[in-house]
Amino acid sequence: MSDEQFRAEIRGWLHEALSGPFAGAVGTGGEGREHEAHELRREWERHLGRAGWIGLGWPSEYGGRPATLAQQVIYHEEYARAAAPGRLGHMSEQLLGPTLLAFGTPEQKARFLPGITSGEDIWCQGYSEPDAGSDLAGVRTRAERRGDSYVITGQKVWTSLAHLADWCFVLCRTDPGSTRHAGLSYLLVPMHQPGITVRPITQLTGTSEFNEVFFDGAVAAVEHRVGAEGEGWKVAMGTLGFERGVSTLGQQIGFRRRLDAVIARAHENGAWQEPALRDRLVEAYIGLEVMRHSAVRLLASAGAGLSGLEASISKLQWATWNRSLGELAVDVEGAGALLTGPGYELDDAQTHFLFSRANTIYGGSNEIQRNIIAERLLGLPR
Amino acid sequence: MTHASADPQPVAGTLRPEAAEEVAQIRASIVEVLDEQADLRRTHELMVGAQGHDPRLHELLTAELGLLGLVVPEHLGGLGLDVSAATAVIEELGARLVPGALATSLAAVLAARALGPSAEPLLARVVDEQLTLASALAEDGAGWDLERTATRATGTGDEWALTGTKTLVAGVEAARVVLVTARDAGGGLGVYAVDPTDAGVDVRTHMTLDQTRRLSTVHLREAAATRVDAPGGEGPRVLLDHVRAMLALESAAAARACLDRTVEYLKVREQFGRPIGSFQALKHRCADLAVAVAGARATADHLVTTLRTGSATRSHDAALAKLVCTDTLMAVAAEAIQLHGGIGFTFEHDAHLFFKRGKSAQLLAGSPATVRAEVAALAGL
Repeated sequence: MSDEQFRAEIRGWLHEALSGPFAGAVGTGGEGREHEAHELRREWERHLGRAGWIGLGWPSEYGGRPATLAQQVIYHEEYARAAAPGRLGHMSEQLLGPTLLAFGTPEQKARFLPGITSGEDIWCQGYSEPDAGSDLAGVRTRAERRGDSYVITGQKVWTSLAHLADWCFVLCRTDPGSTRHAGLSYLLVPMHQPGITVRPITQLTGTSEFNEVFFDGAVAAVEHRVGAEGEGWKVAMGTLGFERGVSTLGQQIGFRRRLDAVIARAHENGAWQEPALRDRLVEAYIGLEVMRHSAVRLLASAGAGLSGLEASISKLQWATWNRSLGELAVDVEGAGALLTGPGYELDDAQTHFLFSRANTIYGGSNEIQRNIIAERLLGLPR
Repeated sequence: MTHASADPQPVAGTLRPEAAEEVAQIRASIVEVLDEQADLRRTHELMVGAQGHDPRLHELLTAELGLLGLVVPEHLGGLGLDVSAATAVIEELGARLVPGALATSLAAVLAARALGPSAEPLLARVVDEQLTLASALAEDGAGWDLERTATRATGTGDEWALTGTKTLVAGVEAARVVLVTARDAGGGLGVYAVDPTDAGVDVRTHMTLDQTRRLSTVHLREAAATRVDAPGGEGPRVLLDHVRAMLALESAAAARACLDRTVEYLKVREQFGRPIGSFQALKHRCADLAVAVAGARATADHLVTTLRTGSATRSHDAALAKLVCTDTLMAVAAEAIQLHGGIGFTFEHDAHLFFKRGKSAQLLAGSPATVRAEVAALAGL
């Protein structure tokens, strides 16, 4: 199948799906809109799965579909272009799936991957803790071995989608006397059980997409530990490295749409005539072009995806860029942007302005990314 | 559903492996020559000298190594290599801030190559006579705004005479042919070739803020000229785009070189009992510069692909790369002075060479504000 045929197929499928039963899901669930249309988006995951659009490039035996890297990029581009709903299955497909493919046993792959490719199972990521944010090695959540189970006690924080997820991949300390990177294990934990309490965190947007997750005697099966006991750090770092580059070009189509909307608004309300604002808008356009060429260049040389280092560079770039555009969106609007809807209901510019402050914090803050780049790319001393 | 191969597809515009190999060889050989004969120490000596560049090196690179003919098509006597053979040379010259007329000449050759059949006689001469070229576009009051070109061309067919004054011309002191933008009686813009030793041409070379790039004023009084581009075409725009491409490629490479040197210094310079490169404030600034340098590199690479494939986005991509790469060099060089501390402020140190080159690259061929406005217009914003 040629790339053009592949593009036509995914485009046609998306058009049909999103103009039919899922028309109400178009544009929902993006950044700062995670609270929208849960039930419809849950059904959307299943719809994607039934049509074979989850797990591109994964082995067919787990419900995957063979696809070249170029085709995976095309899929993400078309997905973004169609303003298809934000993926509840993002962490399932982009983070856990590749981790299981790399580190899981044949039984674990057979048990969990089909649930991801079918769109049935939603996963969340249990890494951060109140005392282990940027410094993930500070994880204190304990998992005690009892027979063929682990019993988990502790707390995770900033857990996206925990209130909707069926499963959580959790980094726990299985060796009580251990410190830092040693003695950690990577466990797959069912969310629907008595020992787990999820408490939403209300963000400065007034909405909630992160949670606190409390483990109080929660249980995970020993056979659902990925990698050896005490080797969880390696597995977790593998997951972070799976920030694959294929989605970056798709993400940029979303950015382009936002930028176009802000520029169109500036033309509409006269802000474009304001030299300082126009300059910032053109700078934003230029910044996005630079990111696009960078992504193309990386993909041309990367093959399977981005290394952790390249992911750091791209994360620092896009997070900073998107945060600036968020502020610009409000500046273009002017004082009119100070009025919200009833119940602090925010429009696109307001949502972008407020939520984008999180871009440069989550997934490794700008400061962490800069340390990584300085030490690993430039070789500056610690 | 047919089973697709798992191999990543080549990106559009990727070089054939054998062409890539040729380009790599050219780059390796030029690196060898420049590392031996054109390091920054040498640049320091040359830039304060009378000529401002090294005629011997120029002779070696042009007459002996035949670099001017690299991308001239084979049927015109050149090597017929891919565009990226010439851009690789421009990058290596830029990384070392090599003073002189080779980069400007290569840019003019690339432009002539893009002008089509009308420029073939000139390209054939470039190889036959080892002609060094320069490009003269700017005028007082108009800058590089082609629409405001006032230099006049009178004549027809093969016989033209040019009258006007071109300013801020780079590399003309070593050039045997200058490509000049001028306007004919009908108001049409064109590109004309002039011999700087012609009786109607007076070249005044100035001392410059960026000592690694001398600039000249070229007075034309009924100077004999031949037309290089096809009437009604976009010859002047092609020429401007290639001058910008040169500045972009040089700057992307220079920014990388400047950052590398700065980072090396931070690893060895100790204060408070530790390498200053371990201080987070400095690390973070270097990381930001590294991201900027990577972005400049990607933008420059994209431009090379555009030039190679003859894409219609040439003007946009050249303007974008010129802007991004020269701004990046300026940012890196300014930080290089600061991060070196007192030594970075000395004449003997190399930091100011990058800093001054950054400013000249930023201001030649359109100031950042001008080029930004152009990018906006070309992108239809």
